[in-house]
Amino acid sequence: MDLSFSDADLAFQTKVRTFIDEHVPKGQALWTKRSEWFKALADQGGWDIPKWPVEFGGPGFTPTQRYIFDLEMAKQPTPPVLPFGVGMLAPILMQYGTKAQQDRFLPSIRDGSVNWCQGYSEPGAGSDLANLQTRAVLSDDGTHYVVNGQKIWTTLAHIAHWMFCLTRTDNSGAKQEGITFLLIPMDDPGIEVRPIITLGGSHSVNEVYLTDVVVPVEQRVGEEGKGWTYAKGLLSHERTGLAGIQNSVLALEKAKQNARSIPLGDGTLLDQPNFRSKVGALEAELLALEFTEIRTLAQVAAGGSPGPESSILKLKGTEIQQRISELNLEAGGLFGSAWGLHSPGPSFARGATQHYLGGRATTIYGGASEVQKDVIAKNVLGMG
Amino acid sequence: MDLSLTETQHLFVDSVSRYLNSEYPLSHRQTLVSTDLGYSEAHWQTFAELGWTGLALPEAFDGLGGDLIDRMLLHEQLGKGLVLEPFLATLGLCVPAILWAGSDEQKEMLLSPVATGQLSMAAALQEASDPLNLQAIETSASTNDEGFILSGTKSMVLNGTGADYLIASASLDGAETPTLFIIPADALGVVVEGYPLLDGYAAAEVRFESVQLPPSSQLGEAGQGSQIIDHMIAHGILCVSAEAVGAMEVLYQSTIDYAKERVQFDHPLAEFQVVKHRLTDMFIEYNLAKSMCLKTTLLVNEQSPDASRHLHGLKYLVGKAGRFIGQNAVQLHGGMGMTEDLMVAHYFKRLTVIDALFGHTDLHLDAFVNAPA
Repeated sequence: MDLSFSDADLAFQTKVRTFIDEHVPKGQALWTKRSEWFKALADQGGWDIPKWPVEFGGPGFTPTQRYIFDLEMAKQPTPPVLPFGVGMLAPILMQYGTKAQQDRFLPSIRDGSVNWCQGYSEPGAGSDLANLQTRAVLSDDGTHYVVNGQKIWTTLAHIAHWMFCLTRTDNSGAKQEGITFLLIPMDDPGIEVRPIITLGGSHSVNEVYLTDVVVPVEQRVGEEGKGWTYAKGLLSHERTGLAGIQNSVLALEKAKQNARSIPLGDGTLLDQPNFRSKVGALEAELLALEFTEIRTLAQVAAGGSPGPESSILKLKGTEIQQRISELNLEAGGLFGSAWGLHSPGPSFARGATQHYLGGRATTIYGGASEVQKDVIAKNVLGMG
Repeated sequence: MDLSLTETQHLFVDSVSRYLNSEYPLSHRQTLVSTDLGYSEAHWQTFAELGWTGLALPEAFDGLGGDLIDRMLLHEQLGKGLVLEPFLATLGLCVPAILWAGSDEQKEMLLSPVATGQLSMAAALQEASDPLNLQAIETSASTNDEGFILSGTKSMVLNGTGADYLIASASLDGAETPTLFIIPADALGVVVEGYPLLDGYAAAEVRFESVQLPPSSQLGEAGQGSQIIDHMIAHGILCVSAEAVGAMEVLYQSTIDYAKERVQFDHPLAEFQVVKHRLTDMFIEYNLAKSMCLKTTLLVNEQSPDASRHLHGLKYLVGKAGRFIGQNAVQLHGGMGMTEDLMVAHYFKRLTVIDALFGHTDLHLDAFVNAPA
C-alpha cells in the first residue's frame, strides 16, 4: 500500500492547479466570466465535460485523474455547472439515445445554451418514485404521445427550455414497468409552471402541470416502457458526488473562521468547549469520509467496481453538510434571523441561516436518507 | 405535591386555545406578518380584554394577579398559535424588569396601561458588535443637568417598531457595567428601523441620537443593570421555552397525522418502523422539554436558589428538542416540509429563532455544567 500519487498523477495535479491559477477569475463575479471559463476548460480538451466519454468529446481521464481534477476544482470558487443537462441527461442520451437525438441535444447541453429540468417526482410519487401517474398516450398513427399530469419539486423548471420526463404509458404490470422517458420542450402551450416557495422564502423548485402536451415519438428516449431502467441509472449518477466532501472541507474551514470572528468571554466562540468539540468531531469524520472515497477510487482505479462502502458517501456526506450549517447558524446568533432588506450583525449570519434551512432538503431529495438506508440494507448488506 | 391545574387554569387554557383556533388561523397570521407593524393592535387590545396581558400582573395594576405558572400556560398556547403580538417583549422581558427594579412612579406609569392593552414595550439590549452577549454596552449615557443623554445603536430589538416604551442598557458615564433606562419611543432622537425576523416576528434597529432623558428614566440603581438584564433573560427564557413546548407539541402531533395519511410503497409512512421510532423520539424530546419547563417555572416562581441552574438546563433542552423535532418534522414531511405553504415550516422557523434567542444550546450547557448544584 502507498498513500501517495504516482509521478504522472502528481504532474497532472500540477497541471490542473496551474490552469486554475491562470483562469479562475480572482475577485470578479463568477457569472460574468462564466462563458470564458468554460471555453478555456473546453480548450484543454474536454475539461468542461470531465465525466463524458472520449467519443463524445470528454477528456478520457483515468479514475485517479478524475479524482484529482474534482478535488482541485472543488478547492476553488469556480463557476458552477447546472447538473441536469451535463451530468444527468447526457449520460442517458449517450447510452440509450439515437444518433439523431445525440446530435440534436448534446452540443447545446455541452455549451450550456439550453437549460434542462428533471420531471420525475409527483405529488403521489416522492420516495416511491415508481408510483408516478403522469399519463402519456400514443396516438393511433403512432407519431406522437399526448401527455397529461403533474410534476412537483422540479428544480429550475422556471428557467428551463426542456424537461426530461418520466411518464406512464402502461398501467397493467408492476409499477416499475410501463414508464417511458420523454423529452418535452417547456414552451409547449400545455405546460404551466407554478413556483413553490421553500423554507426561508427562496424559489428554486416548482410544480409543472402538463395538459394535452403533444410529444413526437422522436423525443422518446429508448424503448417505450423501459424508462425506469434508464432513470435508475441516472439516480445513481445523482447519488455520487465527489465534490460534496471537498465542499464540506472548505465549508468547515469557513465555519471556523466565522466562529473565530464572534467574541465570547475572553476569547471567541471557537474556544467554547462544546462548540469546539463539534468542530473537532466534524474534522475527524471528514478525514475518514474523504479516505472512504479514496478507497472507492482505488478499487475503481485497479479495474474493479466501487465497493459497498461507496453507498455511504451521500448519506454521511449530506449529514455532515447539515451539521456544518448548524455551526454557522449558531455563530450568527440571533442575527441570523434578521430577515429584512439589510441585515445587521455579522455579514455571514443571514446566509448561514438560509443555508441551514435550504440544506434540510439534502437528506430528502435524490432519495431520502431513510429510503437509502433501506436500499443499502437490502442490496449491500443482504437484509431482505 | 400537586401538579394538577386548578379549575380556573383549565378554563383559561381552554378559552385561549379555542380563541386562537377560531380567530388566529395561519392564513390570517401570514397577512399580519407582511404588515409594517408585524402584528395587529386590534388583537393586542382584544387579548387585553380577555385578560391575557394582565394575567400575571398584580391586581393593584389592573392585572389578574396570576403567577408564573399561569404565564407559562398562556405562553404555551401562544406558541401553539404562533401568536405575533408582543407578549415576549412586553410581558416576558420588560414587565419583570419593572416589577423587580422599577420605582413606584415607573410602575404606576407603565403597568396598568400594559395590563389594559394601551401600550407595549421592547427591551433594547443587543448590540451588533457582540452577537452572543446581551450585556454588551457600546451605547453610552452621560449625566447632565436635566438627567441623561443617551447615544448608541441597539440591534434585533423585538417589537422595536410597535413599542411605546423601550428599556435600553448603556454605560453610564463610562462605567463598565450597564445601567438601564426607560425611554419613550417618541422621544426626540429615537430612530427606529423595523424589519421582520425569519419567523415573521417584528424586530428593529433602534438608534439613540443624543436622546435627552429625565432623571426619573433610570431603571434601578446605576450599575445595577447587569443583574436586571439577567433577571429579564431568566423570564425571557421561561416565556420562549413555554412557547417552544407549545410549538413542539403541534409539530410532533401534526407529523404523526401526516405519517398516518401519506402513502408510499403502498403503506402509510406510519407503518414503517424507522418512521415510528423517529416519531416516538420526537414525543420523548417534547416531554423532556415540557417537564423541564414546568419544573423550572415552579422553581423560579418560588425563588428557589436552584432556579438559575435549571434555567440553563431548560434552555439547553429546549434548544436540543426544538432542533430535533423541527428538523425531523421537515424530514418526515419530505418535500412538503420544505414549503412555506405548510404550517410545519413556520413552526420549524419559530423553533430555530427561539434556539438563538438568549443563547444557543452550547452556551447554556456550559453554564449548566459550571453552575453550583
